[in-house]
Amino acid sequence: MNDLLDRTEEIVKKAKRLGADEVIAKTTLGKYRQVRFSNNQVDITVAWNDYTTDLTLAWKKRLVATQIHDFHDVDASLKQLIGLAKVSQENPTFGGFAKGSFQYSKSQPDKKLEDLESPTELVFEAINAAEKEAGSEIDSGGILFTKFEDIYQVSSEGPVGFDSRSAVELSIRAFSEREASGHGVECSSTLKDFKPSRAGAKAGEIAKLAKKPKIGDEGAYNVVFDPLIFGSVLGVWAGMASAFNVMIQMSVFVDKLGKKVAPEVVTLKDNPAAYSMAQRVFDDEGVPTKENVFIDHGVLKTYLHNTSTAKLFKAKTTGNAGLVAPNPWNVEMKPGDMSKEELFKEANNGLYLTNTWYTRFQNYARGDFSTIPRDGIFLFEKGEIKQSLKDLRISDNVLTMLGNVTGISKERQHVHWWAEADPPSLSPYVLIKNVHMTKSK
Amino acid sequence: MEEEIVDYALEYAQGKKVEYAEARALSQIQDRLILRNGVVEAYTSAIDSGFCVRIIANGGIGFASTNKWSKEEAKTIVDLAFKYAKATNRKDKLRFAEEKGVVKKWSVAQKKKIENVAPEDRISAFTEVDKALASCGVKVAATISQCSIDLITKYFVNSEGSRISSFVPKIGAYLFITVAEQGKTEQGYEQFGYSGGWEAFGVWKMEEKMVHNANVLRDVITKAKAVKPGNMDLICGSEVTGIAAHESCGHPMEADRILGREMSQAGRSFIYKGGEYWIGTRIGSDAVTVADDPTIENSYGYYLYDDEGIKARRRFLYKEGIINEFLHNRESAAKLGARSNGSSRSINYDREPIVRMANTFVVPGKSTEEELIEDVKEGVYMKSFTEWNIDDRRFNQRYVGKEAYLIKNGELQYPVARPVIETTTLKFWSAVDAVSKKVEYDAATCGKGDPGQGVPVYTGGPCMRLREVFVK
Repeated sequence: MNDLLDRTEEIVKKAKRLGADEVIAKTTLGKYRQVRFSNNQVDITVAWNDYTTDLTLAWKKRLVATQIHDFHDVDASLKQLIGLAKVSQENPTFGGFAKGSFQYSKSQPDKKLEDLESPTELVFEAINAAEKEAGSEIDSGGILFTKFEDIYQVSSEGPVGFDSRSAVELSIRAFSEREASGHGVECSSTLKDFKPSRAGAKAGEIAKLAKKPKIGDEGAYNVVFDPLIFGSVLGVWAGMASAFNVMIQMSVFVDKLGKKVAPEVVTLKDNPAAYSMAQRVFDDEGVPTKENVFIDHGVLKTYLHNTSTAKLFKAKTTGNAGLVAPNPWNVEMKPGDMSKEELFKEANNGLYLTNTWYTRFQNYARGDFSTIPRDGIFLFEKGEIKQSLKDLRISDNVLTMLGNVTGISKERQHVHWWAEADPPSLSPYVLIKNVHMTKSK
Repeated sequence: MEEEIVDYALEYAQGKKVEYAEARALSQIQDRLILRNGVVEAYTSAIDSGFCVRIIANGGIGFASTNKWSKEEAKTIVDLAFKYAKATNRKDKLRFAEEKGVVKKWSVAQKKKIENVAPEDRISAFTEVDKALASCGVKVAATISQCSIDLITKYFVNSEGSRISSFVPKIGAYLFITVAEQGKTEQGYEQFGYSGGWEAFGVWKMEEKMVHNANVLRDVITKAKAVKPGNMDLICGSEVTGIAAHESCGHPMEADRILGREMSQAGRSFIYKGGEYWIGTRIGSDAVTVADDPTIENSYGYYLYDDEGIKARRRFLYKEGIINEFLHNRESAAKLGARSNGSSRSINYDREPIVRMANTFVVPGKSTEEELIEDVKEGVYMKSFTEWNIDDRRFNQRYVGKEAYLIKNGELQYPVARPVIETTTLKFWSAVDAVSKKVEYDAATCGKGDPGQGVPVYTGGPCMRLREVFVK
């Protein structure tokens, strides 16, 4: 460990000697494993091993970066980068990298995820659970992914840190009929808390309920969102809290700081805590990560910042760097006081949506978008599921939906799925009233 | 790139009990430039380089990659891939469709070498666009521009004797603008892509296109009226034709999707064995022929050999309205008793090659654009789009117009604000009664795979006329 930290530090010192004003180097030693499966069988098992140093430096407010893979000729890479900085253009809004030395929380990786011997066993736990729930004819596919990274990060401005990050996730989609499916996910930073059968059972349960779907009707519905689909929603909302997205008008939160953007019941925070598959103890500037409540009881409290965006907004960094753009790491919605069943009762009549994909915007600043629910879509009446539906699309607006949040469950699930429910989140069941659905004509 | 290490990896793999083995190396010089409001936020420049092996053993596939260039590391990843392949333990054993080995070197020429263009000149290609926007008379509230330059060297060898080397330079640009007028905003983007040298910028005409975008967005705010929802004729400009060709023809014709291999991510297809749609089934009118062709010179999706060493060729996906030929790699072709048609692509050494489109377009017809419009009594001309999406069976799609006009008695009247077509693949392609003769292409990044593999593609085609579709 110390050897790699020393090497990373040496790269920073060399860059300083060559004239850089500020330098950050991050060395990642990563092991990634993935099992992909479909039709209840494993298609491929994949392993990546990576050893890279990401180097970012500033020279007279010119920000340049490189990634070093070949450590035989680091000097040449550094000279080239400094040369690039000298012909690049000054960015007046660059506010420097974070300064000071920090104490970090202890990393809590699971060493068992460094090299999992039999990952396919976990896949079959999920497939079997789906079959148990929905019958042996069920057709399941998905991925099992494991990550184990050691991070050595050194900044010329003071921060020096080591972090070890582990993650494991399983995503399973089960089909009971050609157009009837359910999706379940299981995400964790440790193997101990990872139960693939939960994901399989959920996928199977929804797939069974989803049989014989009918084309749904257009209109405004009270919608109960499952934690998985709401993970997609939370990802969009949190992304719009990034100060960079506000600056480039790809956010509904422009000029909304301190204003009410949601009902009292909505509190959202970013928190890359130890349980999360996005666990981390410092950001890309070496600032300790922490809980950041960005919507507090409906009021937009802060954007997510790095040092540069914080200076522009006269705020403090929130530990979300991204050297150009701050990012949310792991979004948490504060639990409500209702059970899942009470949400359905409160909604009375409406739709229960379990997953979505392909969210696209007409206008980020205005918040107009559409997204396509998939897997189980259910019509319920008087709180009871009556009919499986298909071929509906949410065509609505971010601020309108935020404003119409009516109920939140006590129960939450840690979810992540592909690029659709990303970043990971701790997501509850949520009732939003008056959601507009459209369909093909 | 050290080819002898790649050769060693293959040789070492062949010493094991494998049914098939390949080793593939990729080295790319990558420059990335990001500007906000015409000011450089960051310039990154790096060389990414590594290699992978893919092995079939006991009817299973194992894949492993590394960016450490040593024979010792080569052995490590071969051992891993072999172990994983054997552990797969499939009931139905996987194999690849038959192919002969190929020995080939190919490359894309640059008229103006990217390597000779100084970084400051690369930057100014984008700052000039912002200057043009600032002086075009439209209130542009924000811009974000991104440029990607990749000089990609590949080396591929397999246990059937293939040995293929290639060099392809690719340039891409993405520009996003927000126009604010009368207290309202409208947003739009353009993407550009090219395989070749810096001459790309002469082809793209970025300044002209972005100023046009700014004017279109201002007109949406200041002049456009909503369309009265109902059945009417719709003229799709080449950009809308192209996205429809990509989304509701190219994607559902990917054989791995048809077979379910992408079921939990990008989804399946409305086309499947035993279902309503298969090869030979009608999906559109006679006027509709959609092709995918990696060999279009200088296209963003250009290649001559795919990442399994198969020669690229034009594929006719829908032919005169009939489902004609799927996109295949060697794995899907073997499962469906076909031959690969060179559709296997991987974005890097650490990703498996999967079935992908290259440049998907509607084949041109005989009419002019004017003739298509002249014959419309009442309708909408949707020249370009903003929001779009499609379900994971590739059957229910939606395109929202960016630049659009009302047509009355064969003439364009006034801009229409955000017209929407939301319909099925069958209805969309069946409604086409004529296509124009001039094809135009747009660059795009196609997403698929897990972890995601965004591959460069073209989407395109001529203008198309759809009769009596619901527009709102």
